[in-house]
Amino acid sequence: MAREERSERGSYKKFFPPKKKFCRFCQRNVKFIDHKNVDILKKYIPDRGKISPRRITGTCAFHQRKLAEAIKRARLLALLPYVED
Amino acid sequence: MRLYETGFLISPNVTEEEADILIQQMADIVTQKNGKMAKLEKWGKRRMAYQIGKFGEAYYVFFHYDGGPDIPLEFGRRFRQMDTILRYLTLVKETQQNVRKKKKAADRRRAKETAAGEPPEPAAEGGTPEPRKREEA
Repeated sequence: MAREERSERGSYKKFFPPKKKFCRFCQRNVKFIDHKNVDILKKYIPDRGKISPRRITGTCAFHQRKLAEAIKRARLLALLPYVED
Repeated sequence: MRLYETGFLISPNVTEEEADILIQQMADIVTQKNGKMAKLEKWGKRRMAYQIGKFGEAYYVFFHYDGGPDIPLEFGRRFRQMDTILRYLTLVKETQQNVRKKKKAADRRRAKETAAGEPPEPAAEGGTPEPRKREEA
């Protein structure tokens, strides 16, 4: 009985399981994220220009730290916007 | 001696030749102070992501050089005096490679385990069915 209830509740998840996220920097074995490489950084700042959180992109803690630093440096040199509307 | 990276933006109201002269002057500072220029990147005129002052464009230049700490200090002093420099950023480049000691050690351990035989695999197989049983009950 309990099992049926659970399956009903999680039916959406059952048929459309969330895609497994992974760190794209770990996959390529990246050690250093360059602030001049704007094309890569742009993928991590959607519409609004904010840095997207780890829980959404799946980036690992190590690379999220490096990424945030790189984005902030790029913003200083006007390669990336602080705000975008 | 350390590896530095200095990037700066030259305002678009100077001509390209003037900008080139300015870049050459800055590059000479490195050699004067017994540094070694490793790489000189000129991106040319480029749209900025936001306006600085009243300018929407700038010449982007990046210096990669090896030298003492007096070079970036001198750059900073010069840049602050010049009106034609909109922004600058100096970084000390990380030269050491062993940044991820923990992960490397873990990788090595895992590699060693797999090379030794298959002791970790049966343990992992035995571990997974247990929670499933609990769900059924």
